[in-house]
Amino acid sequence: MFRTCDITGFKVDLQSQKLIKVNAVFAVISLLLAVVAAILLVFTRYQPVHLLGAEWYYRLVTFHGLNALIFWIIFFEVAGLYFGSTVVLNSRFCAPRLGWIAFGLMAAGLVMSNVIILMGKADVMLTSYTPLKAHPLYYLGIILFAVGALVAVILFFGNLMIAKREKTYGESLPLFTYGLMTAAIIAVITLASGAIIYIPTFLWSLGIIDNIDPGMYKLIWWGLGHSSQQINVAAMVSIWYMVSQLSVGGTSINERISRSAFVLYILFICLASAHHLLTDPGVSSAWKVWNTSYAMYLAVLASMIHAFAVPSSFESAQRRWGYNKGLFQWLSKAPWGNPAFSAIILAIIGFGFIGGTTGVIFGMEQTNIIVHNTIAIPGHFKGTVVIGTTLTFMGITYYLIPLIFRRKIVGFKLAQWQPWLFFIGIALLSISMIVLGQLGVPRRHWDSTFSGAPFNYNFNPAVDFFWALMMLGGVLAFLSTLIWILIVVFSVTIGKKITGPQDMQLKVSPLAPPAKKHKGFEAPGTLILTLIFLLVFMALFFLNWKWLAATWNVK
Amino acid sequence: MENEQQPNKEKASFGRMIMDDYMLLLFLGVTIYAIFYLIWGVMELSNLPAIPEEIKKTLIK
Repeated sequence: MFRTCDITGFKVDLQSQKLIKVNAVFAVISLLLAVVAAILLVFTRYQPVHLLGAEWYYRLVTFHGLNALIFWIIFFEVAGLYFGSTVVLNSRFCAPRLGWIAFGLMAAGLVMSNVIILMGKADVMLTSYTPLKAHPLYYLGIILFAVGALVAVILFFGNLMIAKREKTYGESLPLFTYGLMTAAIIAVITLASGAIIYIPTFLWSLGIIDNIDPGMYKLIWWGLGHSSQQINVAAMVSIWYMVSQLSVGGTSINERISRSAFVLYILFICLASAHHLLTDPGVSSAWKVWNTSYAMYLAVLASMIHAFAVPSSFESAQRRWGYNKGLFQWLSKAPWGNPAFSAIILAIIGFGFIGGTTGVIFGMEQTNIIVHNTIAIPGHFKGTVVIGTTLTFMGITYYLIPLIFRRKIVGFKLAQWQPWLFFIGIALLSISMIVLGQLGVPRRHWDSTFSGAPFNYNFNPAVDFFWALMMLGGVLAFLSTLIWILIVVFSVTIGKKITGPQDMQLKVSPLAPPAKKHKGFEAPGTLILTLIFLLVFMALFFLNWKWLAATWNVK
Repeated sequence: MENEQQPNKEKASFGRMIMDDYMLLLFLGVTIYAIFYLIWGVMELSNLPAIPEEIKKTLIK
């Protein structure tokens, strides 16, 4: 059963639509759980308040990590995979019943793991490094969730096969679906690693296996833990391309190069899991250097390609619409009132300048040592997963509400502000955490004053300022996430029904017209912006090596 | 001229064929990760010498 979307013209499989909706709803529930825990954690780490006791602090660190990094992200990605493999391809869902089974397994896993954590039987944090042992149902919950997610990924490939057989698309997949295919392949790698490590750990928690080697656990676990964040990167970049098309009618100025960049992700990005073992003595420097370089920076090259290709797709389209004056008229005349557009541009800026630069610098064996196991590391991934992926997912939701839920956005004015508030909040939070880490503040520590410890350590007095800044950023990010959740909940429940294109609050742009005459660079403004980014990156790179030299004075 | 262009055409279609074959890409992605990260790492950890019993006992105390 299909309906034809009167706004986009897509044929929408109604079974697929239901599955997209339930997975998206559970993603939002997971995000709500994650941010409630997050604000309590912020006020615990902010020493003047120091809200929670040690037990509840570590309990909620576990709870927050699992809901934010696994449940929120993967539920949303499953919704995206179904959308990209059916709606975008005008195709049908291959096995809706299996889709519901996958959803049931994932939902059961979410409930089981969360209940066990809140009962205080799994204070092991997201990494659950052995020999820390949680209740067997905690591991079982994660296994159920992972099996459900794996079934969803298999269904995605099934959908692609059906679409190919029934010739519902041209010779190659659209770029958006191609990026999602990349995310799905990375998901297979991730979930396979999860199965390899969580099944024996589950058996160990039951007493069937005597011992899990901690070094081996850490190696394989990070194949899940880090690679799962690479699923996000691929999904996020795909959405960037999609929003370029939806908002201004943009397409990649060289689609083949963009596809090649996705292939580089498939081949090399998962090797980066090795970042987490940089100070482990068990693996050699050769293993560390090869893997943390993403195979000689080929996957970093892919990110650089996307960093140019996505903004240039916006610029090229805007110029073809006639916004051609100077270097940046395309940007000043961009649809800033469209919250999906502003969310995506802010996500690109935040992901590049905060998450991307620190990712490469902290991922190198030498400069990593300055910040290893400090609060700078979660600061870095707030700059990737939160300001990048979460803001992107928030942005595309502003299109999903009218196109999939067929409702108008409630509180549209507020929705136009929300991405900016979230961006400012997370940027403050993330940058403060990175600076605190550079000043030596440890991560995951309940009491960073070390009160009652046999030794006394005084941090640089500047840390007090950055703790306050982190708290302010956390509050702003929490409030803007609540605003987003309320907008989504009210829109899909009491929002006015969409009756046709006239009800759309966000523009769905036709493809930009072809260029009349082409002279010089296709996207000179983007080129300048990219060069500014490279200069900032070089300055930070130099600074970190300088700090390293100051830490260890080698003569 | 036609003869010169022919190989380019074939090359392009071959590259596209590879890029569009998601099962091949899945195989390559899993294999590269398995060889360089997983198997190499597991081999290095497996070849570590065991802690001498005396030291182990001291540590466990």
